[in-house]
Amino acid sequence: MTYIEAKNIDFAYPKRKKVINDISLKIYKKDITTIIGHNGGGKTTLGKLLAGILKPIDGDVFICGNNTKDMSLGQVGKKIGYLFQNPSRQIFTTNVCEELLFLSKLGGKESTEGYGEMERLLNFFELWEKKDEFTFNLSYGEKQRLALAAILMNKPEFLILDEPTTGLDKLRKTRLSRYLTRLEEEGVGMIIISHDLDFVKAHASRRIEIARGEIINDTR
Amino acid sequence: MIQDKSLDPRTKLIIVISISSLSVFIQDLRYLIIILAIAILVSKILGSEIFTVLKKLRRMLGVFIAMIIVQSLFIKGGNPLIMIGKFTLLTDIGIFRASEFLLRISIILVSATILMTSTSREILQGLVEWKIPYEIAFMVSVAIRFLPLLGEELQDTLTAIQLRGIDMDKLSIKEKIKLYSHIFTPVVAGAIVKSQRLSIAMECRGFRAYNKRTSYIKLKMNTKDYLISTASIITSIFIAYIYLT
Repeated sequence: MTYIEAKNIDFAYPKRKKVINDISLKIYKKDITTIIGHNGGGKTTLGKLLAGILKPIDGDVFICGNNTKDMSLGQVGKKIGYLFQNPSRQIFTTNVCEELLFLSKLGGKESTEGYGEMERLLNFFELWEKKDEFTFNLSYGEKQRLALAAILMNKPEFLILDEPTTGLDKLRKTRLSRYLTRLEEEGVGMIIISHDLDFVKAHASRRIEIARGEIINDTR
Repeated sequence: MIQDKSLDPRTKLIIVISISSLSVFIQDLRYLIIILAIAILVSKILGSEIFTVLKKLRRMLGVFIAMIIVQSLFIKGGNPLIMIGKFTLLTDIGIFRASEFLLRISIILVSATILMTSTSREILQGLVEWKIPYEIAFMVSVAIRFLPLLGEELQDTLTAIQLRGIDMDKLSIKEKIKLYSHIFTPVVAGAIVKSQRLSIAMECRGFRAYNKRTSYIKLKMNTKDYLISTASIITSIFIAYIYLT
């Protein structure tokens, strides 16, 4: 089943040249799709368009058949977990635990189940020792892991990960790899935007290469 | 029409200082309306994109309206217009002060758009050539340069929060207030971290290594600049004089 579909999408940032040129593609939940390409080729922009964060200037993007132009970010967030390239921008609480329990605290629905899940994720990403730390004092790699853990707290059906291995050492990369495999087995679909070709090779069932805003290669 | 590039940044600074000083000094609605009209006219003549800037500020509209309401509610002098029992809710002076505040803010915002027709480097050079210490002038220019970045970061954080599955429209006011505190925390913390890094990078590149600085950019006031600067100062003094007498 098609999970995300882009139909002839174009995109340009205000007062700038087009960065995405007439791209059409179907993303399936059963695949782990990777988007690769050189810097400035439009990978992150395409990822944000597919997640509904950016809206195309021409064409349409559909998530589960719903046009992203008609969806709020909140509605997108209930289906897709998006990991930004810069994790600092998606960590907004002062404390590590709070970051994971943010949603339940905001809605006043704290539960033992939520605490259990938080503990499990913090342990898995080796952040349990840092559970009471200020998020601003974490290293880049720790922030990356925390951002990922916070997204996974939401139990998304689909993940879009923009450069998930940046700042991770070999051991943590292996652990992330293992976790993504487990998610894949649980039926979570994925798009991984990455420069890390070894990581891409290990996970990709489909590789999309883009350059100058166009798909130049799409292989399985 | 005066071409933007042909005016010296110092002339623009003089115009902005004259207009905004008048708006702070004068407390008469009629005068403030005239000053706002002058500010809009001058900004348009200098080719500033007032309406684009004001459009960008539309998100702040709620804050302005809230400030106006608070202003009008807390000023108790004058004739009561709305009363609940013995409690005066709104007075004519309250409305007068709120309108005054709105006009003042508008004048300052519109006149500030004049500065946006020059680059921050040109404004910095203008301040330096006015013998303002380079460190202070540089600080001002960095603040100007970082403002759009802060805006971008606020937007990114808001996007990230919503992507956790939060529908802003469905939140109660209490939840929204709670949420906004989460938006400002990382941005303020990020700004502090960024400023620390910037200062280290600058020191590493020899900032303040020598007492005297040379500059590649040199500014030169021409006759038109002197005429406009003098006209701005004289007009401001004239308006202030009429207002006082």
